[in-house]
Amino acid sequence: MYQNKHSIFLIILLGFIIHKYYCKEQTYEHKPNKPLRFHVAEFNFDHVSDVYAITLWILLGSLAKIGFHLSHRLTEKFPESCLLIILGLIVGGLLYVTHLTEQKAYVLNSDTFFLFLLPPIILEAGYFMPNRPFFDNLGTILLLAIVNTLFNTICIGLTLWGFQFTPLYGGTEFEMLPCLVFAALISAVDPVAVLATFSEIHVNDMLYIVVFGESLLNDAVSVVLYRMFASFANIGQPNIIVMDIVLGCLSFFVVALGGVLIGIIFGVIGCFTTKFTEHTPVLEPLIVLVYAYLAYLTSEMVSVSGILAITFCGMVMKQYVSFNISKKSDATTEYVLKMLSSIMETIIFMFMGLSTVSDSHSWNTGFVFMTVLLCLVFRVIGIAIFANIANCWRLLELTRIDMLIMSYGGLRGAIAFALALVLDEAKIARKKEFVTATIAVVFFTVFIQGITIGPLVKLLNVRRKQIEEPTMSAKLTNRMMDHVMTCLEEISGSGGSNSLRDRVRNLDRNYFKRWLLREPPDRKDIKLLQTFKKINTLTAMRVHDTARGLVPSASTATVQQGMPEHHHLRSHSAYGNVSELIAANLPENTVPDLMSYENHEGEHHHNDAEMHHFLDTNLYSARPRAAIHLRNQDETGSSDDGTHARFEKSYHHRDQRYLPTRLERELPHGPKTISKTVHNANRPIGLKNSSPKHTRSPPTTHQQLNPRSRSRSIAAHQNSPIPSGQRTKSISKDSRISPLASTHIENEGTGRTAVERSRPWRHLSVTEETGASSSKTANIPLANGNDPNLHHIPLTVADFGGTYTKSPEYMGEYATTTKPEEPSSRPDVRDIFNKQSDDVSEQQDDGSTESITRL
Amino acid sequence: MGSNASIMLQQEDLQNICQQTGFTAKQVQRLYSRFKTLDKRDCGFLTREDLLCIPEVNINPLGERLIDVIMDDYGENNKINFKQFIFLLAKFRRGRVKSSTTEFNTRDSKLRFLFDMYDRNHDMKIDREELLQVLKMMVGGNIHDDQIATIADHTIGELDSDGDKSITFEEFCKTLERIDADDKMSMKFLS
Repeated sequence: MYQNKHSIFLIILLGFIIHKYYCKEQTYEHKPNKPLRFHVAEFNFDHVSDVYAITLWILLGSLAKIGFHLSHRLTEKFPESCLLIILGLIVGGLLYVTHLTEQKAYVLNSDTFFLFLLPPIILEAGYFMPNRPFFDNLGTILLLAIVNTLFNTICIGLTLWGFQFTPLYGGTEFEMLPCLVFAALISAVDPVAVLATFSEIHVNDMLYIVVFGESLLNDAVSVVLYRMFASFANIGQPNIIVMDIVLGCLSFFVVALGGVLIGIIFGVIGCFTTKFTEHTPVLEPLIVLVYAYLAYLTSEMVSVSGILAITFCGMVMKQYVSFNISKKSDATTEYVLKMLSSIMETIIFMFMGLSTVSDSHSWNTGFVFMTVLLCLVFRVIGIAIFANIANCWRLLELTRIDMLIMSYGGLRGAIAFALALVLDEAKIARKKEFVTATIAVVFFTVFIQGITIGPLVKLLNVRRKQIEEPTMSAKLTNRMMDHVMTCLEEISGSGGSNSLRDRVRNLDRNYFKRWLLREPPDRKDIKLLQTFKKINTLTAMRVHDTARGLVPSASTATVQQGMPEHHHLRSHSAYGNVSELIAANLPENTVPDLMSYENHEGEHHHNDAEMHHFLDTNLYSARPRAAIHLRNQDETGSSDDGTHARFEKSYHHRDQRYLPTRLERELPHGPKTISKTVHNANRPIGLKNSSPKHTRSPPTTHQQLNPRSRSRSIAAHQNSPIPSGQRTKSISKDSRISPLASTHIENEGTGRTAVERSRPWRHLSVTEETGASSSKTANIPLANGNDPNLHHIPLTVADFGGTYTKSPEYMGEYATTTKPEEPSSRPDVRDIFNKQSDDVSEQQDDGSTESITRL
Repeated sequence: MGSNASIMLQQEDLQNICQQTGFTAKQVQRLYSRFKTLDKRDCGFLTREDLLCIPEVNINPLGERLIDVIMDDYGENNKINFKQFIFLLAKFRRGRVKSSTTEFNTRDSKLRFLFDMYDRNHDMKIDREELLQVLKMMVGGNIHDDQIATIADHTIGELDSDGDKSITFEEFCKTLERIDADDKMSMKFLS
């Protein structure tokens, strides 16, 4: 609540500023008799006024959104759209009082709406359209979008008109054609409102796509109907001939198919363009955006459905562009789209509230009431009829509850409002009544239905969207099911959607991919491999997040194991854990994160918790298991085959290709840990021993850091619940595995896949970074071969450097912590610790010189 | 064509089949005519070659494997007659309500069919070799064996909960709980 007050205050302040500067013309005048002089600085608000106002709007929208989400109680109860409308109402009231509403920039005009605010939202919707559910339900969606919208328009229009013969409207007369025009704009479900509401209630994919798809595709129908009835109203009721109606029907096909065609054409051109952007990757996101926008504008220009055009443009581009452009560009595109659509949505809802406060209203209780009622009733009737028709061919029938949610989710929104605003008052006399009724319907649906649909979904126990863990087996089995069902459909001779999908997929692979991708797909199932890669990365990250429970960070682990004396040489790693480090190194990981954040706004805390829970309990927590296993082995001397196999299995596959014998070599060392424990018991003492020696040492620059970090590590040792031998053992493995796992990821990236080859940035970044940190990597060949606990395994420097070079600190750590020692095949940890006390002074010197060279 | 086929199908056979499988008479007749179309030599059973003649099956990466399963588990001597054919397809009839569910089209039997796609030696376990075979079919030839092996290991690691490096049917079902296998493994039979 506090935040809300805060933002209100902010709005008032902003309003005040706008008012003050915007009315400058009146207050700021040159005195004519004053001689002209050069001005050091000039106040010139006129120059920027319009853009300034728009920018302020965007800022206000963002701040409002931020403010709302600071208060969880508020966003839990009310959908964001409601809050934004309320905010808009407040601002509108303020502007109304201050008579600023006359200024053009402050009210929603339909040009702004259709040219700037709407396209990004629709593009985002098209770009992130879940293709499979969309095409699986295409028949139902089309039926609802076309026939149901038509049905609603006719019924609402005629019933509204019919009621004028009753005294319900208080004697106000409505003609038939204007009523139909009004019905055309009011009966279309609004994609923006549906998107805003449904993204918060998380119903299952099927239900969501049916409602949302309908709202997207009904644009063609509502545009045609609206335009047709409006021009009929222009022509005048008596002058209409049959030809006009036939042409109207014809124009539907032109508008719908024309929109789709333009969208696909621009999408294909866009994909084709990205085929050649290898050397200018910076422009890639822009190409996607520009072509999509151009598709929208072109179709608006030739008056076909722009919404359909930009939707299909987005869908086509998503299919191919992401294979062509670099991962960074891909991430940027997705991010920019999310950002734009989110802010546009905010502004639209704010503008709606704002524009409500104006003089151009004419409240007619009967009419408004009837409109709201008819919208509801015919929505329910329409869905009931057409969903049942759709059930005749649907494999997965729509249940009654589905139908209820579908009818209840039929929200009206800003498109209807914007269309109502552009009505020509000269032709349609009752424009004010229509605008008012539109606002009433929009507010009713957004507020009452929008707020109650969440609880309703919970109450009716509607199947929720399942956020699936991407598992390899699920992907594999899904794909297998597709194949099997396609075959069986062919065998049984009932060519269903599976066969169609398979045919489209073949067409896609044989032709489109060949023309539009930089590298034609040379293997059958790219997606399967992509999934695997994604999972692999995630697994690696999780493993290291889990390891964090034992060790504060991988760098500290290295320190404790290798050279405790060098603690002071570096401040704590900038990265809290390895997953952050990997995330920082692999841009593609930022996208899913963002997306999940976007999609489950307000739930990310929950997701975090879930993630951590997952880390603690799930399969990939093989690391603690490994530790347990080792302890068992140490203490009892017997090996538990189950855990052994499990541990090996979980890790083996990741490292196998590169380090075939690492684990086999490592595991036999298990029993030796007993002796190590003995030695390690001395270790804290060794640390303490080392510190007084250190205080004698010359490099004063690092001494400030020294006490803190040292005490931390000592404390860690003394508090550790498990024998420190285990600890160091597992730590050492952690530190070793971290580079390996990510090396593997890196190699996945630089591997032979067509997708990967088309993403040169990775190689670029590796070489760049390697070059940049070459001074640091210079230490590594020496260190790499020598330090037994880091990587005695055949891991090439290039790999190692390539993986970590993006974080210079990290490189630095490895460079400085690794201990120059005589090469040995595999010295036991024991030996190192034996040597430690002897070597301390020597290493001290080494360390200081190294640190000096490094600095 | 359809009328011809229905004549050849005995009336009591038809009723019998309908009762057992839950197909409607029209659906069975339609499937029978389909069966006749596939059975080009008109000998009352389909062979491996008959099925492979369907172009979509022929190019499907899992087509041959599917035919293996059909012939081995549902037919006999590399032949499948109409009754076996329709019992096979009955598995994939959509059982929406409880009453329309027969012993054939339960979720379990659908999953069992999927499981059989992997498990060709009928030891009720998917081992690494079997998984590798299927993976190779599905991923294509251009990929390195190591990579496939890695994927196979990972998949087994995901599913295997008792650590025997193979996947039992229970393990297989457990991880597919979240997938709507029942819906996906169903198809609409024309009537």
